[in-house]
Amino acid sequence: MSGSGSLPGDLERTPIPATEEPVVQVAPTRPPLTPGEWVRRNLFSSWFNGVLTIVSGTLVLFFGFRLLRFVFVSADWSVLRANLRVYMVGRFPQEELWRVWAVAYFLAVLVGLSRGFLIPPHRTRRGSYLRVVLAVLALGALFYLVKSLLVWLLLAIAVALYAGGVAAGRRLGRRLVRPVLVAWLFAFPVVVLVLSLGDVGASRWGGMLLNVIVAVAVIALSFPLGILLALGRRSSLPAVSWFCVGFIELIRGVPLLTLLIFGRFVLILLVPPGLTFAQVVRAILMFTLFSSAYVAEIVRGGLQGVPEGQYEAAKALGLSTTRTMALVALPQALRSTIPPMIGHFISVFKDTSLLAALSFSDLLFTARRASQAFEFVGRQAEALLPAAFLFWVIAFSMSRWSQRVETRLGVGER
Amino acid sequence: MATAASTARPPLWRNVRFLRILGQAVFVLLLVIVIREAFLNLEFGVQEQNLDLSFDFLRQRAGFAIKEGIGYSPNESFLSAFLVGVVNTIRVALVGIVLATFLGLIMGVARLSSNWLVRRMAQVYVEIVRNTPVLVQIIFWYIAVILALPVIEGGLSLWDLAFVSNRGTAVAWFRLEDGAEAWGLFLAAGAVAGAIVLRRRTRLVERTGRSAPRVLWAVGAFLVVAALGFLLSGTPVAADVPEVGRFGYEGGLQVSPEYTALLLGLVIYTGAFIAEIVRGSIQAVPKGQKEAAEALGLTPRQQLRLVVLPQALRIAIPPLNSQYLNLTKNSSLALAIGYPEIVSVSNTIINQAARATQMLLLVMATYLLITLSISAVMNALNRAVTRKGRR
Repeated sequence: MSGSGSLPGDLERTPIPATEEPVVQVAPTRPPLTPGEWVRRNLFSSWFNGVLTIVSGTLVLFFGFRLLRFVFVSADWSVLRANLRVYMVGRFPQEELWRVWAVAYFLAVLVGLSRGFLIPPHRTRRGSYLRVVLAVLALGALFYLVKSLLVWLLLAIAVALYAGGVAAGRRLGRRLVRPVLVAWLFAFPVVVLVLSLGDVGASRWGGMLLNVIVAVAVIALSFPLGILLALGRRSSLPAVSWFCVGFIELIRGVPLLTLLIFGRFVLILLVPPGLTFAQVVRAILMFTLFSSAYVAEIVRGGLQGVPEGQYEAAKALGLSTTRTMALVALPQALRSTIPPMIGHFISVFKDTSLLAALSFSDLLFTARRASQAFEFVGRQAEALLPAAFLFWVIAFSMSRWSQRVETRLGVGER
Repeated sequence: MATAASTARPPLWRNVRFLRILGQAVFVLLLVIVIREAFLNLEFGVQEQNLDLSFDFLRQRAGFAIKEGIGYSPNESFLSAFLVGVVNTIRVALVGIVLATFLGLIMGVARLSSNWLVRRMAQVYVEIVRNTPVLVQIIFWYIAVILALPVIEGGLSLWDLAFVSNRGTAVAWFRLEDGAEAWGLFLAAGAVAGAIVLRRRTRLVERTGRSAPRVLWAVGAFLVVAALGFLLSGTPVAADVPEVGRFGYEGGLQVSPEYTALLLGLVIYTGAFIAEIVRGSIQAVPKGQKEAAEALGLTPRQQLRLVVLPQALRIAIPPLNSQYLNLTKNSSLALAIGYPEIVSVSNTIINQAARATQMLLLVMATYLLITLSISAVMNALNRAVTRKGRR
């Protein structure tokens, strides 16, 4: 930039004269490493690194071989094949299973649409290789596990709906934001209604279905409650802020399991006699209280990150305290809390496995019971690993998803 | 320009001070009503079950056995049983915190290694472990690994010094003999001697500016005194080698399958989170610090030890504290595999004495006490580290 005699204050705003050629930045290009160079640089850069490579390489080969041999040769996955439906939906009555499929289709379309406009197509050669490998593995597993033609057809429809959703989401782009947001808002009540009408009821939910329902309910309920608690904690009214601080710290200081036991034994005694609700609902309530304390702390962190000037500006515009919060502070705070919030939601999903410790027939409990069945003695690993894998796939893809949404939204760059 | 309008008091409903008091009063009133209602319901419900809300039942005879922990018999009270649980929780939490810190440190440093393979291995570990529920991992270790080990007669043995089977693990340990007290005094004296040597060597280093081994000398001094004491007090410690007996292992340091599974699950799970903290804190130290250290002519090891790590430690302590609290709270998942810690024992007591309300209050208060103690230690550490850096 040339300081050609203009006032210092204008220095930064001086436009570059149009006659000047725009500076083209050329990064120094480096020829790609040959495989030999790559190995030398990344694996054998010093004698210590060489030893490390040899030792850890031996370990990887040994355990990798053992793992592959276990998965493809020595393991007997018949325990999974026999229990697949129980893992997925527990004791959900078979004649009512269409409800689950309907919900799955609805969500497939919705997730597809959201993905379509949220995440840009992301094609690297390595990524697509990986995708092909994963698809082949998944198909192989399905060929082994699913023998019914009907289920194959139903699965194919779900995949088609998802793919269609993604394509439509990409085509329509931003125009979809509002309708999809509204659909998500109504999704949960609709799903619960569809799943609990007829002869089903919350007590018949089981398997992964139960984990997902509980996780979604807890996330949906604890988010607003957590925001309220965070606002209460920052309130200038001592009575309100002390109460919120006490509540948050109490909840964060005790294990979730004790709260769930509280929900099982004590909660029902605190409400007026005659008022009863299902065990699942009590668990969801306690989960929600637990989760909202953590949401509150995340939101508080976000609120602290909002610059003081924003409050002052809102005050200068004559906004009331409520409007300052709702229109100025919270939108900025919530935006910056997206990464930790998604991290917290992932851990809520993982925490739903605690239902098993209270003998709800969730995915983990189902897997554990399958491992104790007489005909599958000695197949405990085969019974438990699929459950662990399902939890892992969902949590891991959620965290990957969140990373990509973060870069898309530019969180942390503003 | 003061006129009558500005000096007039605002009406009550626009008086901010009044509104604030009113708001709080309403809030407190609502709270009191809700709590009172809940308490009355509770009292009514408890009376209907012919129970009470007092803590007297804690003195009644427990009548159930606890598999492991400090000395206890079923004839003792519920309170003693609960205390066994408390000790068992502390036993698993403290050991778990130490081991998880080691594992996390190694994995966190490995994630920053210049070796591609090591880096990737650490990453795979973190991504797999972090995204699987800890309860799934604990149950997996318990059911699929530890209980699937061979039975005790055909158990694995390591030179007859350590045994592993589905009945637990037993390793050779030490047994205190006569003269242990005397040796204890020598150990204390050795520690004092080590501290004195350390101080003198530090002064020497500071005075001359040469780098000289300090810790090595101090440890040497301690070992010399300790060895001298060992000979003088007449072999106060003997090896305690376990044997396979009729009802399980006899002698040695024995670890139950439940304890092993819980510890494995907690350590491996928390270790992954600590690894991420370690990696993040080392990366958070500004690059210029390392470059400046390099410019001063420090060796790579000195750069790490004297410049990078002290600053990384300061960043790491608050999140580490919350991981330690998580580990302690997650030890309650032992309920699912029957390791008798606080929640597991309390659950049994609730089933026997039916006083869920009092028991849960007691459990929550105990956990708050434990977590507050850990936080206090970590805060003290944090203050010490921060002050050191600012000097």
